[in-house]
Amino acid sequence: MLFFRSEEHVDHWCQANGVSKRPLVSLDQLWQLAVIWYGNRLTVESRRPGPQEMVTIFSQIGLEGPFWDPKSDQWATAP
Amino acid sequence: MDFDTSVKLNIYQMVARTTRMPTSIDVALGIGCSMADAEQAFQRLVEKRLLVLEPSSPSRIRMAPPFSGIVTQHQVKIQDKVYFANCAWDAFGIAAALKHDADIESACADCGETLQFQIRNGRPLPHEGVVHFAVPAAQWWQDIVYT
Repeated sequence: MLFFRSEEHVDHWCQANGVSKRPLVSLDQLWQLAVIWYGNRLTVESRRPGPQEMVTIFSQIGLEGPFWDPKSDQWATAP
Repeated sequence: MDFDTSVKLNIYQMVARTTRMPTSIDVALGIGCSMADAEQAFQRLVEKRLLVLEPSSPSRIRMAPPFSGIVTQHQVKIQDKVYFANCAWDAFGIAAALKHDADIESACADCGETLQFQIRNGRPLPHEGVVHFAVPAAQWWQDIVYT
């Protein structure tokens, strides 16, 4: 989960490193994800979300599809 | 509060206060238990995917997300303290967890140029930059350090 200056830099990095390009996340989406995921991390109630909760959280901020599904087997056999 | 929750909170409170990741000795002293008990709790927290330990060292924590136990390229400055994050998500995550304005410094993974982000009043100020997740969610924990 790396920062890049722009999508052009993502393209260049993927090509140089032989990595498939995946969905991009904006800084605003990243912040929403950070707040939902870590906002109560220093409290007694804090816990890691379960798989279905993760799907719901990602969906709330516009990250949808099998890439964001921790239960998806579409990626399980990927090289 | 159960024992593992006490251990988890002690870890997070210590790293938040000092910026340094505690060891099992620190936690044992902090909550008044044996080092062995602290390390057994560490293992259970690893199984819950709340901690990552250093390889072959049950006493040392590599990651208590969003905090990193080692120096990384993702620095988060809050007041006079500098924390290290595990990844882009966790860099924003430290500001979210500590609920404070933050100055984040990282680098473009492609060209190495320094990237700076500011969190002010509960939101990031506009800045160029995007985040690329190279690994699908179903595979994050196959190699969480790489992820």
